[in-house]
Amino acid sequence: MEKTDPGAKLWLADQARIGRRAAWPLVAAGLAGTCLAAGQSFFAADLLGGMLTPSAPVAPLIAAIGFAVLALLRAGVGVATEGLTFRAGANARRRLRSDALSRLLDAGPALLHGAHSAELAATVVDRIEALDGFFARWLPAATLAVAGPALLLLVVLALDPLAALVLLVTGLMVPIAMALSGIGAGRAAQRQFTAMTRLQTRFLDRMRGIATIVLNGRIEDEAAALGRAADELRRRTMRVLRVAFLSSVALDCAAAAALVILALRAGSALAAGTLAAPTISLFVLLLVPEYFAPLRGFSAAYQDQFQARAAAAQLSTLPPLPAPAPPRVVRNVAASGLTVAFDNVSLVWDPARPPALSNVSFRVSPGETLVLAGPSGAGKSSVIEILLGFVRPTSGRVTVNGADIAELVPAALSRLTAWIGQRPVLFAGTLRDNIRFARPEASEAEVDEAARFARMDSFTAGLPDGLDTIVGEGGHGLSGGQAQRVAIARAFLKSAPLLLLDEPTAHLDPATEAEVLESLRRLTLGRTVILVSHSVAAHEFNAVWGGRRLDLRAGRVVSARGAA
Amino acid sequence: MKPLLRIVALWRGRAAWLVLGLLISLAGSLAAIGLTTASGAIFATGVILAAPVWLRVLGPARVVLRYLERLTTHDALFRALADLRVWFFRGLAVRLAGGLGMRRAGDVLARLVGDIEAQDVVYMRILIPLCCALVVLPVLVILIGARDAWLAAALALLFVTAAFILPAWAARGAMAGGTSLAQAIAGLRVATLDSLMGLREVRAFGAEGRMLATVQSREAALIAAQRRHMRGGAIAGAGAFLCAQSAVLLALLAGKAQGAAGIALVFLVLAAFDSIALLPRAGAQAGLAAAAAVRVLEAAEGPLSLPDPANPTPLPPGSALRFEGVGFRWSPDRPPVFDGLTLDIPKGHRIALLGPSGAGKSSLAALALRLAAPQQGRILLGGVDIANLAAADLRSRIGWLSQSTTLFDDTIRANLLLARPDASEEALWAVLAQAQIEQAVRALPEGLDSYLGEAGHRFSGGQSRRLALARALLSPARILILDEPCAGLDADTERDFLTTLNATADERTIILIAHRLTGVERLDRIFRLSGGRAVAAAG
Repeated sequence: MEKTDPGAKLWLADQARIGRRAAWPLVAAGLAGTCLAAGQSFFAADLLGGMLTPSAPVAPLIAAIGFAVLALLRAGVGVATEGLTFRAGANARRRLRSDALSRLLDAGPALLHGAHSAELAATVVDRIEALDGFFARWLPAATLAVAGPALLLLVVLALDPLAALVLLVTGLMVPIAMALSGIGAGRAAQRQFTAMTRLQTRFLDRMRGIATIVLNGRIEDEAAALGRAADELRRRTMRVLRVAFLSSVALDCAAAAALVILALRAGSALAAGTLAAPTISLFVLLLVPEYFAPLRGFSAAYQDQFQARAAAAQLSTLPPLPAPAPPRVVRNVAASGLTVAFDNVSLVWDPARPPALSNVSFRVSPGETLVLAGPSGAGKSSVIEILLGFVRPTSGRVTVNGADIAELVPAALSRLTAWIGQRPVLFAGTLRDNIRFARPEASEAEVDEAARFARMDSFTAGLPDGLDTIVGEGGHGLSGGQAQRVAIARAFLKSAPLLLLDEPTAHLDPATEAEVLESLRRLTLGRTVILVSHSVAAHEFNAVWGGRRLDLRAGRVVSARGAA
Repeated sequence: MKPLLRIVALWRGRAAWLVLGLLISLAGSLAAIGLTTASGAIFATGVILAAPVWLRVLGPARVVLRYLERLTTHDALFRALADLRVWFFRGLAVRLAGGLGMRRAGDVLARLVGDIEAQDVVYMRILIPLCCALVVLPVLVILIGARDAWLAAALALLFVTAAFILPAWAARGAMAGGTSLAQAIAGLRVATLDSLMGLREVRAFGAEGRMLATVQSREAALIAAQRRHMRGGAIAGAGAFLCAQSAVLLALLAGKAQGAAGIALVFLVLAAFDSIALLPRAGAQAGLAAAAAVRVLEAAEGPLSLPDPANPTPLPPGSALRFEGVGFRWSPDRPPVFDGLTLDIPKGHRIALLGPSGAGKSSLAALALRLAAPQQGRILLGGVDIANLAAADLRSRIGWLSQSTTLFDDTIRANLLLARPDASEEALWAVLAQAQIEQAVRALPEGLDSYLGEAGHRFSGGQSRRLALARALLSPARILILDEPCAGLDADTERDFLTTLNATADERTIILIAHRLTGVERLDRIFRLSGGRAVAAAG
């Protein structure tokens, strides 16, 4: 069995505490249901007693009405319990999901250095969805498994102490048997859960790669292998289940034993003519299933805690939310004519590896274009990531019009900058939505103008819905050059004074590259621009745009050319 | 419920196990009812001698039967689900040509796999309880009808309502809601993936709040859909509960006339209705499972878009590839990708196909592999129209490496052997060396038997590409289509790889698809795709 790490354990304990506090209405509803069931059993026992002896404690008519009224109430409590159960799960999911996504959004793009976005998305969506049962069923069931039987035990104790003893002993058999076979059965069940998860993962893995299997002509081999894997896992799982199901045997045994003992006791008393109050015996007999019902609920919800453990391992490792920033001096930076300066800036991602930037200094004046050149890994992109606020420099100062960007709130910094990367991400929605992403409050006319500026009409003209074409998931796929035009339109719409270009044509063929560069050149007019490019292309940029060029190697400035 | 019946029909190979599980379940149900009834019968002086014996037999019988029931039904279910997975895999594999798996289908597949897993409720939660109810009903009617026909009729009506009518109502509602539930969860998934894939854009445009709000609104839609589903089940459940309570009350009132035997009668009614208490909820689950089954059946049993020819021509010895006046579009509402494309690729030649993305470079590969068929013109392999070849034969001649080539969560050896199951150990190391990944694999303690997916040895993106390359090189195919083989590799590795490629590949035809050349490739011809045609370009 794999060890749970302490972080995950702590997380789970925290969540259990929050969940238990939120689950009290459910516990109350559960106990109310048990009380109503006891009341019904009393009236039913009274009516049944009337079949044996003519003198029952309550008149049959009243008992029948009482039974019916309590049945209606119990149905109402049942519906309410379902609603409360749902709400407990939904609230917990909402809370956890907002928390997880806020952490991820806050940690920002630096996160993508170590993790895959699809895995993070699966954590946020599916892992949290699977936690529903932990909050909605497991936590209340764990409390009710003790409180419900205890309540009924008190009632029976007042009426028939010996019967109460029978219920107590058989009831205690359940946790004792669980503890004896018990912790073993819990572990077995956990292993079964892990095995099932593994089988599902394998199936999913093969389905995702089905194209590769088909094109290699391996359909039959893989189908047979899938069948074999499933069969082997079934054998192993069944070995585990043979033990795991023993805990439900304990429960069945206890319930059947209680019923048989109490029935035989009443029967022999009846035969001996010593059954003083048949109504009470009948009442106790009717209570037996109600007594064991919370224990059954507990064992049915047992699986849910494994889901929670699996989720805890992932959710507890999410980046922490930073403490709310103390009110800093929010520097107001004039929006036109930006000067950007790096002053002895160093950046270390990982102390075990050489720094991404060491002692880099440069200055870009308003309206100037600086080309940062160098091979991949030279630290060019790190400059851009610092300016976008994706990372903070380890040492040194980065200033915008003389203001240290460490003192700017992220929103202020993002207002000043526009950025075009290597492969822009398009969101599910229309092309128009994707442009407007840059400035949600922009008017239709402004969006159209941005699209025209980026020459998007060169490909939207061929689309039946034009700018209203749906892109992204399940929509029209755009080519690299087309997507880059959307990014240019975004940058134009945002109209920020500082433009950051991170190898914007790296993945384009030469013809498209020339067209995109032309649009970019027009975008740079009047703006302060920092362009990052690998050495060969940088040469071409310089030839077309002029401007200054700074060569980086292994995080250091190795040469500076052009007018200062 | 038709789709569910179809799923059950797929399980006929496991009928013996499934029926055994069902029979034990039935026996267990009857034992449970018998036990409760006997404990009531103890009060009836008439059976005072028999009842204790019954109790002593039925008590242990119920416990043992429940245990056996759990074991056999689980065993049967695992067998049936395994069959379902294999059936689905086969069905989807031959329909791959329809486009699934070629495009951005990872998420679609993940959802379908979830739909398959959703079928696990069909046997244990739906089929078995329904069959039990069908057996319990006549038992109830016969036992009570002998004493009080009117009571039996009333109880039967209540039983049918609780066991069949209400669950069917819940199922219908859930099935209608099942589609919107699936859409809601897909919407949440897309919004979340968007925010995380676009973390850079989100930060650069200060859109954190907006993205969070979008995800929250999608989540709200999902929760609303789930609430509607929950409510349907809760109402049906409450209805069934009231049916059971009415039945008990009727028995209580009518039992008076029976004297002490009335107690047993009431206990019988209690136990009988208790055995069907979960059916309305099962109905709601059945609705969801049926909605999922519809999607599963559509994917695995839909029409074949490119069936193999009835009498396939045997694979010709030659491996010259020729496109002849090919016209192709992915669907009638999309612009044509090729329009009169003619291209000759003689045996053993190395050619490059260049062009902007969107010019149809990958479509060309899809046509050659018959993942799609041209609307005009034809494609010849060794002089034979590939439409007349069996797809499996065709694909044994043409190897393909693309962005969507997947490595599996298995050993490196198993991943490589996929391309040629009979390859020798030396052959494996040779292709690893060609793909510049040999050193990294030798450095692993388990070497070729290292698991790719296991946390410790997970490979980087660039290394994974090289492993995929090694697999493509291992393939015995005489024509290799390398679709952007260097995507994701840094410039130095790209150069190394292309240089190695120049030296290898002996007699093989190589079709290199790229958006630009680096200058180190050794090529016979270069073509540029534009305007739906291939134009010879200067080397």
